Amino acid sequence: MQCLYAMMDYDVDVAVIGGGLAGISAAITAAKNGLSVIVLERGEHSGSKNVSGGRMYIHSLKKLLGDHYRDAPLELPIKKETFEIYTGNHKASFSFENKDSENSYSILRSKFDAWFASEAENLGVPISYSTLVSGIDRENEGLVVRSDRGDIKTPLVIEGDGATAFASRYLGLRQEKSFKMQPVENLQNNQDFMPKQFMLGVKEIIDKKPEGDYGEAKTILGLSDGIKGGGFSYTNKETTSIGLTLKLDSLEGHDEKSFEIIEDFREKLGIEGKLLEYSAHMIPFYKFETLPRRYADNILVTGDAAGFLINDGFTIRGMDNAIESGRLAGEAAKKIKDSGNFNDTFVYEQMLEDSFILTDMQAASRISTLFGNERTFDAYPKIMAGILERMFTVTGNPRENIKNVMMDEIKKNNIGYYTLLQDMLKVI
Amino acid sequence: MMDLIKRLGLNKNEVGNQSHIEVNTSICKTCIDKPCIRVCPAGTYEEDKEKGITVHYERCLECGAALYACPFGALEFKYPEKGVSYIYG
Repeated sequence: MQCLYAMMDYDVDVAVIGGGLAGISAAITAAKNGLSVIVLERGEHSGSKNVSGGRMYIHSLKKLLGDHYRDAPLELPIKKETFEIYTGNHKASFSFENKDSENSYSILRSKFDAWFASEAENLGVPISYSTLVSGIDRENEGLVVRSDRGDIKTPLVIEGDGATAFASRYLGLRQEKSFKMQPVENLQNNQDFMPKQFMLGVKEIIDKKPEGDYGEAKTILGLSDGIKGGGFSYTNKETTSIGLTLKLDSLEGHDEKSFEIIEDFREKLGIEGKLLEYSAHMIPFYKFETLPRRYADNILVTGDAAGFLINDGFTIRGMDNAIESGRLAGEAAKKIKDSGNFNDTFVYEQMLEDSFILTDMQAASRISTLFGNERTFDAYPKIMAGILERMFTVTGNPRENIKNVMMDEIKKNNIGYYTLLQDMLKVI
Repeated sequence: MMDLIKRLGLNKNEVGNQSHIEVNTSICKTCIDKPCIRVCPAGTYEEDKEKGITVHYERCLECGAALYACPFGALEFKYPEKGVSYIYG
């Protein structure tokens, strides 16, 4: 195999498709390991096509860049976490403040990714911008990546092209009805690209922010017009990011459209200020058990393309997973090149299994079933609001016992105790 | 409520001459639910009495939602060569 590799006329050791967080992390790591790398990015600069809710847990960035991460153009450290739950005219909220926390930052991707890409460029990695990959063909033992800027011959592709995962489609790792694929061996036989496995993120940037020099992250439930999903708000340096994540299967049968629901949301929040930008993006929403295939001959899949979004009820995160999976893919690329066998990419899967990504994803699996569940978005908030309303009301009649109030509200919403207990166990 | 078209106008979008989205209207004509219209955050898909669906590809934010939502595979979606560029993201 080694001889064959030497004989083949490859342009690079690794072609990275997508210059976002995962792709750039992979490129930085591969370059530091002495591999020749090229990055193909569809946008006019890295970040120009990216949208995130807007908060990054920075541990992965620190691991990748060391102290240098402090130079990154992050927005504000998030020191206040707020949950708001709306039901009709009721609103319950909960806040937690930690003045010392520098665990996560608000972030605007257009600015951040452009900086991140320049970090790779400073290491000598060429990034080809405004480059649209239109296909990938297998040729001899390697791959030919087709783009509107020409072909690239490579023994290995690292895919970081986001939730739509076109590279995986081109190579037959995943498929869907509307794509005419040639049948490929080793095809994972799960129902890929189903609406229930995705959320639509719709987002608006407002030109004002609350007072203060640190950021607040809000998770907002009950303002998505009955659609399964939630809202968010993050404070940036000069702006506020607000948005909704809406389950696609829930949105499909709904009367109101996503672009109307987001405006309702903004109005109900009562946010002052001018709108600066309106954006949308797909968010992977896989359970651990149904994650797509992450490796095959000559390809490693990273970030959103691999479905690495973790929602454990308290935190929702994809960006740290993207950076870490990219870093691991870069490390794996070095090992694969050293072995000389580009069909044996299992080493990347082993590294993922040892990382926090798959461990946390598996741990969050039970709780994530709650978010596919009608009760979470309807009955439970109503029960909570009902209990609070009665406990905060004084009528002159004898005060009700909280236990009776709870049991009464649970019964009113037709929830069985056994169901409730089962759901509660998923949280713990 | 800010009108969708005005909101889309906030973004920089370099639109090509050719649509990057093709729909198979013979399928769209028979589709009752038309989930593409409901999921698309940019109003790209509109009901059309004759063709079933009209595509305003110049509105597209390239999110891919319609691609997943179409139950009949009637949609051919390629990314445009230029398209939308976000300032904040």
